[in-house]
Amino acid sequence: MSLIRVLNISVGYSKENILENISFEIKEGELLGVIGENGCGKSTLAKAICNVLPHSGEVYIDEEKNEDLKFSQIAQNISYVPQHSGLGIDISVLDVVMMGFNSRLKTFENPSLAMRSEAMGIINLLGLSDKAHNNYMELSEGQKQLVVIARALVSNGKLLVMDEPENALDFSVRFEIMNIVKKWIENEKRAGIAILHDIALALNNCDKLILIKDKSISSIIDMHCDTIESMEDKLRMIYGDISIGKVKNKKGKDIFYMVCESEGV
Amino acid sequence: MRRSTSLNTAKNNRYIVIGVIILITLFLCSLFIGRFPLSLSKMLEGDEFQIKIFWTLRFSRVLVGFIGGFALGMAGFVFQILFRNSLASPDIIGVSSGASAGAALGILFFPSAIAVMLCSFSGALIAVILAIFFSSLDRSDRKGTIILAGIAVHSLAQTFLMILKTIADPERQLASIEYWIMGSLNGVNSHAISSNLVLCLICLSILVVFNRQTLLLSQDEAEAKLLGVDVYKMRFIILILTTLTVSSVVSLTGLISFVGLLAPHSARRLTNDNSVKTFILSGIIGGIILLIADILARSVSQTELPVSIFTSLIGAPFLVFLIFRGRDRI
Repeated sequence: MSLIRVLNISVGYSKENILENISFEIKEGELLGVIGENGCGKSTLAKAICNVLPHSGEVYIDEEKNEDLKFSQIAQNISYVPQHSGLGIDISVLDVVMMGFNSRLKTFENPSLAMRSEAMGIINLLGLSDKAHNNYMELSEGQKQLVVIARALVSNGKLLVMDEPENALDFSVRFEIMNIVKKWIENEKRAGIAILHDIALALNNCDKLILIKDKSISSIIDMHCDTIESMEDKLRMIYGDISIGKVKNKKGKDIFYMVCESEGV
Repeated sequence: MRRSTSLNTAKNNRYIVIGVIILITLFLCSLFIGRFPLSLSKMLEGDEFQIKIFWTLRFSRVLVGFIGGFALGMAGFVFQILFRNSLASPDIIGVSSGASAGAALGILFFPSAIAVMLCSFSGALIAVILAIFFSSLDRSDRKGTIILAGIAVHSLAQTFLMILKTIADPERQLASIEYWIMGSLNGVNSHAISSNLVLCLICLSILVVFNRQTLLLSQDEAEAKLLGVDVYKMRFIILILTTLTVSSVVSLTGLISFVGLLAPHSARRLTNDNSVKTFILSGIIGGIILLIADILARSVSQTELPVSIFTSLIGAPFLVFLIFRGRDRI
């Protein structure tokens, strides 16, 4: 049984549709990657799923129709990592992460001590323990992104939507963080959607990939069923002359890599 | 250069304690400074005239300075967070001008304390709504738009005020309007203040409780919504409470410039955050600024000067400093 069902989502700005009839399902513990060229509507799709953009079609989260819910209920169902957080005030890292509890609190209620230690646990998990009491505004862009991911994990929605979570993260850190997020989704029995630019990151961490081209899903890659050749064929429809392969890392685990065959690369 | 990044709760508590001590000291000193010399010993001996002056004029004036400054400091803090702009404050986004135009209308047509206050509140509210409406016309989401909208609202309010002044009776009403606009704690008496101050304190208490929501509203709309904030409802409630706070003060004191800009920035420079403690510290610093300005207004010359002269003398250079520093962070 799928935890998330996205049915016939179409979104448009002005009179023209950017996305048409996007449908997919995500099971409990699965992370779905959304990839495609710049401007193909990946972030638009994420926002439509979160119901912050007008759209047609329906999103069901654990059989609840998202479009019928109030924002306080949507926030309990969805945890969101924006591409760039609009947070621009002096505030401690811990306080930013604690914002994730808001949907569970009443208007006049403040986060409890248990929530505070839960937030500290997530901060430690993402390797920010020494920054918990630092000013969020004085962190590097990559560290800020980690704080926003920590806030999303704390809010603990059934669906985690991440819009380019690798944004501003160092090459080494982005793999580690995606790995942590993937394990969190599996352990907490949640579902995840990650809008990604880094194909290797998507291939190594997602269970399924949807490839968006010309307003709709051009193909779906199932990481557990597709062969390397079929993955390559599907990716070539979007990215042209690329090759993918597998190597073993030091721990003996198979790791995907991608090579762009274009001239000069 | 900002100080160490590490946030320190104990240090913030210390700033609050020091601020409260300074505020109380100024409050007590201010009670005995003025054209009519009051003596504690004479009052203790039962001098009825001195006691009457103390309670009806001096105490109420100082109390309004204390709470008014506190309220303007806190209101500035909320406006800056809500509009995500370090230059936002009640006077700069046009709220104070709206309140003055409203109060002038009240002085002309409904000359009772309550009516003037209601007109002042309505003027302030209309100004906020207009500023938000004008800034919403710019879809580029530039943070400076609210300031430009505030300038437009300020100009509109000033035009309305000029029209009212031309039809005002020059002997009585015009003088009253001019005096009100200059901003002064002179003329505040115990009969007029109680309802305003009670309203102001109620609004401030709710705003303190809403500090968590105010901070959540400092983000992009989608981000705040997906953290479970009813963005439009909360923004409306907090704006109404803040506008009510400002108008309850401004309808007693007239226009007082820059306290709402200076106080939150000074508080943030000390604490390096926007926690509820910084919010309260903004109020404390606002109270300190207004009490000092009022002491100076009463003591630097033979005739009493408008208090805004002194708040502007500090505030205007500070505004220029903020503009040239160019830091778009609150």
